[in-house]
Amino acid sequence: MRPSRHFDVVVIGAGVAGLTAATRLAQSGARVCVLAKGVGSTHLAPGLVDVLGYDPERVSSPSEALPSFLDAHPEHPYATIGLDGIGAALEWFGRVVDAGPHPSYRYVGDLSHNHVLPTALGAKRPSALVPETFAQGELVARRGTSSGPICVVGMRVLRDLHASLCAANLERDGVAARGVQLEVDVGRAEANSLGLARCMDDPKFRATFAAQLLPLLHADERVGLPAILGLRDPHGAWSELERRLGHAVFEIPTLPPAASGIRVYDALRAALRAAGGRLVIGASVVDVEREGDRVTAVRAHTSGHDHVYGARWVVLATGGFTSGAIELGSDWHARETALGLPLRGLPGEGEPRYGGDYFGEQPMARVGVAVDSSLLADGTSNVLVAGAALPGAEPWREGSGDGIALSSGLFAARTVLEREGATAAA
Amino acid sequence: MTTLSTDVLVIGGGATGAGVAWDAALRGLDVVLADRGDLATGTSGRFHGLVHSGGRYAVKDPDAAKECAHENGIIRKVASACVEDTGGFFVTTPFDDPAYADRFAAGCKATGVPCEEIDPAQARLEEPRLNPGVSRAFRVPDASIDTWLLVWALAEGAREHGARVLPYHEAITINRDGDHVRGAGLRNNLTGEQVDVEARITVSASGAWAGRVAEMAGIEGVHVLPGRGIMIAMNHRLLNTVVNRCQMPTDGDIIVPIRTVSVIGTTDVHTEDPDDHTVLQNEVDAMLDDGEKLVPGFKQARALRVWTGVRPLFEDRKGGDSGSTRDVTRAHALLDHRERDGLGGFLTITGGKLTTYRLMAQDTVDAVCRQLGEDRPCTTDVRPLPGSESGEYLHINERLRRREETLQDDQLVCECELVPRSRLEDAARRRGSFDLDDMRRQLRLGMGPCQGGFCIYRATGILHGLDGIDSAEANSVLLSFLRERWKGVWPILYGDQVRQARLDDWIFQGVLDVGHLPS
Amino acid sequence: MSDVNPITEALGHELLRSSLDHCVKCTICETVCPVSNVTPLFPGPKYAGPQAERYRIAGVPSLESSVDYCSGCGLCTMHCPQGVQIAELNAHARRVVKDEAGVKFRDRVISRPTVVGRLGHPVAPLANFTLGFGPARVLAERVLGIHRKAALPKFAGRRFSTWAKRHQGPANGRKILYFHNCGTEYYEPDVGEKVVAVLEHNGFRVEIPKQDCCGLPLQSNGLFDDARKYVLKQARIFAPLARDGTLIVGNATSCTLMFKREAREILGLEDDPDLELVSRQTYDICELLLEMHDAGELKTDFQPVHETVAYHAPCQQQGHWIGKPAMELLALIPGIDLREMDAKCCGIAGTYGLKLEKYDIGMAVGADLFGQVEAAGAGVVACDSETCRWQIEHATGRPSKHPVELLYQAYGLG
Repeated sequence: MRPSRHFDVVVIGAGVAGLTAATRLAQSGARVCVLAKGVGSTHLAPGLVDVLGYDPERVSSPSEALPSFLDAHPEHPYATIGLDGIGAALEWFGRVVDAGPHPSYRYVGDLSHNHVLPTALGAKRPSALVPETFAQGELVARRGTSSGPICVVGMRVLRDLHASLCAANLERDGVAARGVQLEVDVGRAEANSLGLARCMDDPKFRATFAAQLLPLLHADERVGLPAILGLRDPHGAWSELERRLGHAVFEIPTLPPAASGIRVYDALRAALRAAGGRLVIGASVVDVEREGDRVTAVRAHTSGHDHVYGARWVVLATGGFTSGAIELGSDWHARETALGLPLRGLPGEGEPRYGGDYFGEQPMARVGVAVDSSLLADGTSNVLVAGAALPGAEPWREGSGDGIALSSGLFAARTVLEREGATAAA
Repeated sequence: MTTLSTDVLVIGGGATGAGVAWDAALRGLDVVLADRGDLATGTSGRFHGLVHSGGRYAVKDPDAAKECAHENGIIRKVASACVEDTGGFFVTTPFDDPAYADRFAAGCKATGVPCEEIDPAQARLEEPRLNPGVSRAFRVPDASIDTWLLVWALAEGAREHGARVLPYHEAITINRDGDHVRGAGLRNNLTGEQVDVEARITVSASGAWAGRVAEMAGIEGVHVLPGRGIMIAMNHRLLNTVVNRCQMPTDGDIIVPIRTVSVIGTTDVHTEDPDDHTVLQNEVDAMLDDGEKLVPGFKQARALRVWTGVRPLFEDRKGGDSGSTRDVTRAHALLDHRERDGLGGFLTITGGKLTTYRLMAQDTVDAVCRQLGEDRPCTTDVRPLPGSESGEYLHINERLRRREETLQDDQLVCECELVPRSRLEDAARRRGSFDLDDMRRQLRLGMGPCQGGFCIYRATGILHGLDGIDSAEANSVLLSFLRERWKGVWPILYGDQVRQARLDDWIFQGVLDVGHLPS
Repeated sequence: MSDVNPITEALGHELLRSSLDHCVKCTICETVCPVSNVTPLFPGPKYAGPQAERYRIAGVPSLESSVDYCSGCGLCTMHCPQGVQIAELNAHARRVVKDEAGVKFRDRVISRPTVVGRLGHPVAPLANFTLGFGPARVLAERVLGIHRKAALPKFAGRRFSTWAKRHQGPANGRKILYFHNCGTEYYEPDVGEKVVAVLEHNGFRVEIPKQDCCGLPLQSNGLFDDARKYVLKQARIFAPLARDGTLIVGNATSCTLMFKREAREILGLEDDPDLELVSRQTYDICELLLEMHDAGELKTDFQPVHETVAYHAPCQQQGHWIGKPAMELLALIPGIDLREMDAKCCGIAGTYGLKLEKYDIGMAVGADLFGQVEAAGAGVVACDSETCRWQIEHATGRPSKHPVELLYQAYGLG
């Protein structure tokens, strides 16, 4: 296996964790290449940066809750990254979005308090850092936040947000809310939120949409739309709608796909490319070259012949079970599929893998790639692990998904830079 | 409390009970059909979907083979819209006794099971994934049947002929008047309401639960020995022909292509409780190994769901428990309790198999007529069920064709099983049911690869929008669907389905946050 | 070629189908599908691919004509994180639809570029006049179903192979085999000349075997048997010459992708040893040059090119799964103002956008790209595929060049 191309860092995976690590490294002048089998959670998740939502009760301030959470969960990725690391990641991400391809679009929030925003089902869900286009959906009254009754807007053409159910659940939870159904013509019987977001990129559609919606609104209402406020210029679409309607407007996440998540991908990708990083989509890493505890090259399966990428460092950001980064075979053996790294958290022989109650304890949920306290994969000296491949977390229950992805991606980048700096100094 | 009066009360809304209701209604009798849950949720809704050619019994149980061969021909005609004409193979794999094939061929000939030996290469051309080591292959007229379609068509046909169909009505008392049963007390399990049914004849068609119903009538010794078997549905049709191993009946010896999936079955474990749905890990592992013998690569294929069903194997009380239930006869048992126990107006029909549901119903209604002293001939062997008038078989691509026609007008709610919004709304309105699990069986909603990951939120929102349920009920049907689904998923959660389950967790617990809905 | 064992072929198809098991319905393929995003006539890759495939039985008539609106760009497969071979499943389904409906005369014509080329080449001025002549195009639309406005190339009036025969290359150097494709042969021989010049500048001795169409247009028009014949014919020519490790290089990313992967996966030719060898040793020209650059072997004696260049990676280039080597190469040229377009597809998809019923869809698909090109104020649009270049020129009125043409210019070889 002769590497035909050499990089300082090869990052495997193009989700939030991988793109964050790669971008941060490229910004520091490293030669970086991202290899990814496809695109990932950015196209599905709404792009809300959750840091810690539940412990197990709803967390109102992540910075206040995290110290005791870290004490109680020493195996959690946050225990390595620490509060400062998480805070730094949020700030870094905010800057990337500010400088990104969407004019004036920005994220709001920090670790001091969680936004509490409605889900498509009308549950109250906490997130630390959210796009400005979501923020007016705040459900917990605080100084400086929006209040007032909510009008959730559904559309028959969109199957993935049901306004009356969303509003009815909010109402039962003490939030004045009602749902309205808008008949919009998009030239087809069904569309997902991304399709509608593409429509929203068109000023004519926005004007028609606003004109149709305006008569349905009551005074003082905040308008909750499915997350469809465009891909190209979401800030422009959002502020234009607010202006045309004369009401506060906010987005509500729908079932996948997620236009607001794709904005995150576009921002990170643009930052990576601007910093000179390479991005190869479609290439799955299938093999690895080692010298002792160092991985020296990875082999990526591409069309025709495979490509071998030499690397001083590898960042594994392939995700967890969802993406197939970790696989459980029909023989009930689990493995990490790209590099064959050892796992942590697997139930032992005779121990249950799953619990029979869907909402109960699920032992397999916390399985991940075994790492040391600097997120180096066990048995290696130059493979760092970031994102959902890390063990010890249950992001969808804790409300910690993109928080872990961002902060571990940035942590991995910093580790590389520190150690390379140390090498250079020595 | 409501009181109903009827000629025949049928307890048990599986294929047999619905078959009895249809048969009796066609003969002009007034019928009430009741089940403790939804229709076809007992054994009928929990099997692999095979319409036997008879081949399976050709050696071991020639009488059963003859019955199956005969009924197979009738079902194909009268219930064609529920039947897919897959055809079947019996194949000798390297794991089977090669001597059995000749006995099999002779048995088919003797019992009238249509059977033709074909070149194994031909079998592989038709079914490329079949084990290349197959040395003998026989073609038989096995078929697969959508059991929910069948039972609902039977119930619908009965209703068209005046029958009243009462799902979610559980018999809690069998009402006796001396040595005569005069009906039963039912409880509506949805509302708690009591319904008293006065019937000239009460038929217990409660399968594996028949002993319990008989006990309510004070009859001892109706001993149904439930044999529990697991079945695993694989994500797509690995085969398009029913494939049986050509050997004496054993575990994991058949793969049935049914609708969009292939089902491997089954095991046979004795259980005392017909509601025991335990799935043992070693059963799953053994079933996967068996699948591998028929279809190399089976263990890499995606398993969707596992479930158990109980065979109602009737045994007269005299014998003790036998270790293996497979040796107990599968032929059905009709107990006329007037003759057997001196209790008039009460019949039990149990045992048997889905393929012979019609014959069981015919025998039962014949006995009903005898007790009533009326001569009413059976016509279910020639009378097509509603929807089957054209005689056209169900075809796997039927939904794709329909979807193609409505691509620009209708929406898909369940994308995997191509359930359009209009059908969900119609079904809910027509049935007055807003239960997602009922809709699952009725429409196959949420039965595909994502197991409801994408459609269940949509369906809940749509049902809520129909004003049938408020948000609290909507949340509750959604949560109970998720809990139920998990039971059928976690024992087979490996490979591709793990990715799906994790994505679904993330959608429900992350994006929708169903764990924190207002109570 | 029907010397494939029918059981093996059927099994191969079943195994391709089994990739549908990986689908978790996540919708990522829908987010990147250029066609379903602009028209409801195509219900999208998830529906047409892994979803509908569960309802299909080999040999049983297919019922969905909607899959014919798939352009076969392959972006779905590329972006699928789960490894579902969506585009490949669709290609098979399209073939079945065409098997039943019959392949249109038009599709039989436009899927044979060498035949069209040989017919048009000797009468190039007349043919070009006809192609540019309104009434003739109306007639072609009526008779052939080729949209009257569609971007049809002009015959060059000379053939690349004629030039190649006369061309005196260096006597020494690392040997390389050049697959120049039909577009170069009949329409753009100058691109081929520049490819050869750039390779020779970097120390290669270029051999150009006699060759024919790779079979891709036949495959994408559902004519699988014919496509097999063509691609295997090329494999039989190139494999013996490449057996000593000599690389094969091409400048049409769609044809090289056919060799690398599509013929093997879609046409069920995984087991053909010649094609396997050709697949392994085929390189796209930019892929090769960038690999050389990464190894420090590429000459970088570039002179400045003061031009705003928009780079669009064609879908079939992206299907190589190697990133965008042309971007990295062009970035080496001093003075260049290079803009990366992130639109999905130009809309032509080989022959898709030529067709009467699909021209408008193709133009709608490309609208995003055309808008980005305009916004960038690009003087030149660089793009690796000839049909895409024709479409881009047609829609934007701006010149479009193969990246190698810009390298050629920067090397000062002209």
